[in-house]
Amino acid sequence: MEEIRRIREELSKKLGEDLEVLLPARRYEIAGEISRRCVRRREERLTLTDVLDHVFLHRALGIPIFLALMYAVFQFAYSVSEPFMVMLEAAFGWLASLAGEAETPLASLWADGICGGLGFVLVFIFPIFFLFFALAILEDSGYLPRAAFVMDRLMYRLGLHGRSFIPLLLGFGCNLPAIMATRVIDDERDRLITILVNPLMSCSARLPVYVLLAGAFFGAYAGAAIFSMYVLGIALAVLMALLFRKTIPQLRGKPAPFILELPPYLRPTLRSVLLKTWQRGVVFLKKAATILFAGALALWALSSFPWGAPLEATYAGTLGHALEPLLRPLGFDWMAAVALFFGFLAKEIVVETFGILYGVAGEEEIQAAVAAHMTPVTAFAFMAFTLIYLPCLATFGIIRAETGSWKWTLFAVAYELALAYAVAATIVAFGSIVWG
Amino acid sequence: MIRVALIGNPNVGKTVIFNHLTGARQYVGNWPGVTVEKKVGRCTHRGVEMEVVDLPGVYSLTARSPDELIARDYIVEEKPDVVVDIVDASNLERNLYLTLLLLELEANVVVALNMMDVAASEGYEVDAGMLSKLLGVPVVPCVATRGEGIEALKDAIVDAATRKERRRVTFGFGDEIEDAIKRVEAVLSRSGSEGLSRYPLRWLAIKLLEGDERVEALVSKFV
Repeated sequence: MEEIRRIREELSKKLGEDLEVLLPARRYEIAGEISRRCVRRREERLTLTDVLDHVFLHRALGIPIFLALMYAVFQFAYSVSEPFMVMLEAAFGWLASLAGEAETPLASLWADGICGGLGFVLVFIFPIFFLFFALAILEDSGYLPRAAFVMDRLMYRLGLHGRSFIPLLLGFGCNLPAIMATRVIDDERDRLITILVNPLMSCSARLPVYVLLAGAFFGAYAGAAIFSMYVLGIALAVLMALLFRKTIPQLRGKPAPFILELPPYLRPTLRSVLLKTWQRGVVFLKKAATILFAGALALWALSSFPWGAPLEATYAGTLGHALEPLLRPLGFDWMAAVALFFGFLAKEIVVETFGILYGVAGEEEIQAAVAAHMTPVTAFAFMAFTLIYLPCLATFGIIRAETGSWKWTLFAVAYELALAYAVAATIVAFGSIVWG
Repeated sequence: MIRVALIGNPNVGKTVIFNHLTGARQYVGNWPGVTVEKKVGRCTHRGVEMEVVDLPGVYSLTARSPDELIARDYIVEEKPDVVVDIVDASNLERNLYLTLLLLELEANVVVALNMMDVAASEGYEVDAGMLSKLLGVPVVPCVATRGEGIEALKDAIVDAATRKERRRVTFGFGDEIEDAIKRVEAVLSRSGSEGLSRYPLRWLAIKLLEGDERVEALVSKFV
């Protein structure tokens, strides 16, 4: 056996590539050769799919085209939804003013808790729906499997399996179905790695946080700042996958080779695109009606009682001040600490918390309020921290269910917390050097 | 009675051919130890009784997925008399990958070149005679959805099962790899183990070079 292993390693070194890849590649060449000799095309007719694949699957252009498309998707979701968001904010502002001055608990609950908190999150329904709309178009057109194909070569090098790509891409919508989708990965190690890094794919719940902060601090570059969070998530996912593969004995080994069927391109139908958008977007509405509503009530109560006390002396204030020392090195104040603390329930709550704590309704005011509490550098660090720091409660549950192990679930939480802290600290340190 | 196994990529009309071959004489069970469905049927052709087993639809035969392992184990361990490889004529190149793996396994392969109508409608002309010559195995063109070519396929199965000598074509991986395959083969045959003699030597060597976990475990019991 030793001798056989030696022969294998010798050969692999000589040929400069893994035999597990090289031998199948050689078989494909032979299959291609045989097929070329047996198949004649009656007329040299290029189908539209052939032409498009020539471009989208191009060795050098494939990945830049993929990134450009994704950038266009986020730019579209952000800019198209903006006017709608402004209108809905105005509507909630008007509703809040109906209660008059928030002097009684009931009026305050209406104005600050419901309109200021829940209403504030509801505004983000627009970027979320537009994002799903754009992704549904890409999906129905048949582009997504191509994206998986283009990324496979790169991902294999980086220690991820080609089949990981679709679950990772689904993570942009919500990590929950994305982690369930890892069941398509046959190899247990490939699957576990994909589950562990999946929360780094920025789900739509994190989008409100980016939209709020990017809008407040980065003006014309808001779209780019949001996009950068997605790229950061992908880059970290890849890095972590590589790291886990290299360092954790149970995960060591090569990803399995990957075969993927590419369907012909189709013109997406409006009906199907709208249906998909609705099916995925409605999850957000359900969340708003349940956990986000409850969160708003709880947060309002914590930040309003003891009644009449200044904000800093409320329960929320006490909690925030207790957590603040941990986050001080990153430049986050006690309100940010409270927001992150409750963000574990659902990441939209981070934004809800800001809405309630700053006690104002409407994005315009809140952006001004946020701008008074953060600098662009801390805001960017906060965005990154929100991206990474914890999977939300539901994702936590699904990781436990799909890995069947508390050990891996807690490992996911621990590494993400550590990573979030490290990345945010790096951004702050780097920012303070560049901008003093 | 001759034992026949059906194999092919997913969506190549395997089930249709299985139904054509066996008619109503089929029963469904599970593969031992897994929840993958196992379909078996019987038929008689030219007075020869055959038992047909439907293997899972697969693209390759690695040890990584349960479906592929079931298919591979069946061919390696049960050694069916004939393995019918159903190939999508409109997607020949991709389908041939599995065919090459079956030839590495030294299975007694008959290729059913199915979906000839689809290939024709897409403007392809597939030369079954040339394919048979290059692969060294019988190739039967079919359009299973219309029942075309099924009788010829049954003939080819019976012929293949009763044929004494086979022409064997080996596909080379290139000098350096072939050299390594020879050296591994030498190590294996030097061990002179009885337990390994039931497996094709070249196949064992190729799988060992590819780092196939199952074959490694198997061989390390003997070498």
